[in-house]
Amino acid sequence: MDNDDFMRFMASWALVHETADEGWKAAVERGSAQPEGDMAVGPEAFVDGLSALIAEEKERLKVSLASDQGEPAGSRADVAGHLDELTFEVSELRGRLESMQASLDALLDRSGDTGT
Amino acid sequence: MVLGLVHARFGLSAPARRRSAMARQARIACEELGPAFIKLGQLASVRPDLFSAEVVFELEKLQDSIPPVGAEHIRTCIRSEFGRDPEDLFDAFEDVPVASASIAQVHRARLKAEYRPVLGDTLAAGTLLAIKVVRPGVRASIDADVELARVWLRRMPRMGILARVDLEAFLGEFEATLRSETDLRNEARVAERFAFDVRDDELVMVPRVVWARTTRRVLTMEFVEGWRLTELTDAERDGVDARALAVHGADVFMRQVLVLGRYHADLHPANLFVTPDSRICYLDFGIVGTTLPAQRIAIAQVLAATVYGDADRAVKYSRELGLVIAHEQEAAVRDRVATLMKRTLRRPGQRADVRGFAIGFLSMLADFKIAVPVGYGLLIKALVTVEGVAQAIYPGIDITQTVRPFATRLIAQEMLRPARLYAKAPEMLRAAMRVLSE
Repeated sequence: MDNDDFMRFMASWALVHETADEGWKAAVERGSAQPEGDMAVGPEAFVDGLSALIAEEKERLKVSLASDQGEPAGSRADVAGHLDELTFEVSELRGRLESMQASLDALLDRSGDTGT
Repeated sequence: MVLGLVHARFGLSAPARRRSAMARQARIACEELGPAFIKLGQLASVRPDLFSAEVVFELEKLQDSIPPVGAEHIRTCIRSEFGRDPEDLFDAFEDVPVASASIAQVHRARLKAEYRPVLGDTLAAGTLLAIKVVRPGVRASIDADVELARVWLRRMPRMGILARVDLEAFLGEFEATLRSETDLRNEARVAERFAFDVRDDELVMVPRVVWARTTRRVLTMEFVEGWRLTELTDAERDGVDARALAVHGADVFMRQVLVLGRYHADLHPANLFVTPDSRICYLDFGIVGTTLPAQRIAIAQVLAATVYGDADRAVKYSRELGLVIAHEQEAAVRDRVATLMKRTLRRPGQRADVRGFAIGFLSMLADFKIAVPVGYGLLIKALVTVEGVAQAIYPGIDITQTVRPFATRLIAQEMLRPARLYAKAPEMLRAAMRVLSE
């Protein structure tokens, strides 16, 4: 389990327990108010800071759940997938135009017109 | 044929035997009546929602292969489509066709100048091509044949056969299918989409289309060197990794059905090639099946239940796919499915028989008068075909062993999807999440 997975796991846990845990809310508040670097001051500050980080991840998890996607919309993989699809559709359209052009040329030949 | 009909009519044999006898007669009749009826039979062979299992699996033996028309007719058609002679369009156009079916025949030629296809690298000048050309007069003969089929099929209900089939609707579909097949641009588009879906798969190939040489009645594609599965000999199997290819072919099908939502529903050993560099090549994209996202997980559950021999689960998720089983039938249906699974899929020391299971399953549904939804029937038929195809590549393969990990993995992924976890979470947790999100 890497750091991201660990944070996500903790965020899930926090999401489940948050409403029943006023102590947790207080820790998040204290951690959010912490100046940068204070997390290393001592065990209590570390727990507060960690709680704030987990709370941030929790908010991201909520957005992800609300959008019904495993991955946030607009992510790199999401864009790459759409780009692939669109590139294919444009290429296929080019192919169909070539086919139509071939049919058009044949009709123009038959009618004696040279077309444009 | 008359004896067969009499036998069937007066119930001299058990229902399944009677249906088998009728199916054989139907196949022979299609062969005797000619190409349009062979196509009609082939269409029926992918519709287990309309016809009995025995008919469906008997009619799949029909081979659409007829003598070719003369090269002068084909040349006239190409000239009419492009306004130019084949020699102006291609190099080395061959007058002798390499294949001939009721709608079109295929000739070989070479690409005159390099061409940039929709997918993949540029095709070099001189690339070997397959030129598929619609036979002259096909449209007119379709009209005549459909009318003949209409007269022929209208007699069937009077004989007590096909009582549950809406023949007019089926003939309408038949006519639309044939008309669609006479516009080869449709096939080109489906082939390109299929190629796009498998673009990352190095073991699968789909011939690329040369659109600048493709019109309504002419389809130009890469020519694939290899062996049709129907022609694969032991010596050729030895030259490729046949087992890996068979497993991979089944995997590709699973991915199409369960992930992509589009699958080749007209698979047949004659529509598939194995190339000398150990790849599977797909041809002829006449019938395409589709699955909706909501159906895919239910399909995965049915497949998993089938390969693990879990009758309860198979019945439960078949319902989600539209199978209407009355409450009072449920126990009996489940017992029949469990028995069938034991007899066909879970035979100690023997390979699973998916085809036997499918025939038995569809027969059971017919016995209980349970209607088969169109997509469900197409899928069962396609799965059986995949088994046939995989065994044509590697006769010893057990298709259930391939399906098992794929279906299990997909179900696990679905179970762990955040949206599903949310949906399945207890109401109290969802309430907490709603409060938090406000």
